[in-house]
Amino acid sequence: MPENAVKYTEAELVAFLKQRQQSAFGYLYDNYSSSLYSVILSIIADRELANDVLQEVFVKIWRQIETYDASKGRLFTWMMNITRNASIETLRSKGYQNSQQNRELTDTVYESVGSVSTNTDNIGLKKLVYTLKPDYKVLVELAYFQGYTQDEISKLLDIPLGTVKTRLRAALIQLREIVKP
Amino acid sequence: MDIKAYIESGVIESYVLGLASPDEVSELEALSIQHGEVRAAIDAFAESIQRQAMGANIAPPPEIKQQLMERLAGDFKDTAAAAVAPPKLSALPGGTANGKVVRMVSFKLWRNVAAAAVILLVVSAALNVYYYKNYAQTTSKYQALLAERNTLQAANDNYHQTLNIIHDSVMQIVRMPGVPGKQNNMATVYWDTKTRDVYVYANNLQQAPAGKQYQLWALVDGKPVDAGVISDCKGICKMKNIGRAQAFAITLENEGGSPSPTLTAMYVLGKV
Repeated sequence: MPENAVKYTEAELVAFLKQRQQSAFGYLYDNYSSSLYSVILSIIADRELANDVLQEVFVKIWRQIETYDASKGRLFTWMMNITRNASIETLRSKGYQNSQQNRELTDTVYESVGSVSTNTDNIGLKKLVYTLKPDYKVLVELAYFQGYTQDEISKLLDIPLGTVKTRLRAALIQLREIVKP
Repeated sequence: MDIKAYIESGVIESYVLGLASPDEVSELEALSIQHGEVRAAIDAFAESIQRQAMGANIAPPPEIKQQLMERLAGDFKDTAAAAVAPPKLSALPGGTANGKVVRMVSFKLWRNVAAAAVILLVVSAALNVYYYKNYAQTTSKYQALLAERNTLQAANDNYHQTLNIIHDSVMQIVRMPGVPGKQNNMATVYWDTKTRDVYVYANNLQQAPAGKQYQLWALVDGKPVDAGVISDCKGICKMKNIGRAQAFAITLENEGGSPSPTLTAMYVLGKV
């Protein structure tokens, strides 16, 4: 991918995207596809499926750019949330569940054969989450990377909802300290 | 409200990561407008997360961008020309938008390829119609030829059979020239000396008029014996078996033949 000589500020980029400029979309893709792809891969290990999700994510961003409100946060935060939601939606879809079941079977048979899935534990945010203490790690994993609600987590881990809330908040504060520059 | 405690509660991080509940979201958005430090905390965490995510560079397969560009091609408002002259930017660092031009050129290329593909498709469809018509015509011609060939084959078989009969060494040949007044008529009897089967060949007999048929007679000791009517067999016709005869003759009789010959309507006569 050639480096772009043109550099847009976030505000310019959003403005040009809202004007439906192809060049702006190309710029958006060139600058953000890798990091959004990493977000997807931290949730969906299957590369092929992740490719599909990435395409859907960019279509969503393109179609929903009108709804982006800069006063509520950064463009990247907005895109990252779209990406995470789309990935979790896919993760929860029936088709994905079925494909996973099939894969588990074939994987046990052909374990040595190179798999198309990625070891997601080393990617971006996930790598950091995995440095959290185990109590926190499991909560962030379930809430952020697998999309469970706090209510569901409370039932799943048999922990009171209040504890889930406080622990998750504490985990995120710790995470904030880790990601701080 | 203790804003500092609020910021430290983890709600900011929940919000940025999309884990906050709708109530928390609306509360936080309201507070971020009123309190600059809330907004600053949101931005700071978001920036950290973005830096983390941007650091994790796993390049997606290049064809995804191409597929996206094709998929959204109809949505784009700027044309290729607009992209060559990129939108005016407040701060444009030195150099041209080479990357973009290259991408636009490749987009144009793909558009041309697509156009060419459409043209080829249309041409190919037209050729399909043309060739199908040709095919249908050829098929019907072929059917006609096949029918003709079968007819010829049948005729040929008939002639072969005729030739075999004629050239059989046991065959006695009795030529029957036209009687006076009917000199231009001619027929031949082929008489198998073993089986005594009689065949007749009309070398030159005019077409029997409607309602009439030629009938072959064997003259045995001066008496005419019916040897059968000549139906419209092709080539040589097999007639009745005749044990012995001194002569053969053909008369024109009413259809179906007569018990005795009409001597005035005799056409040919030949002695054995």
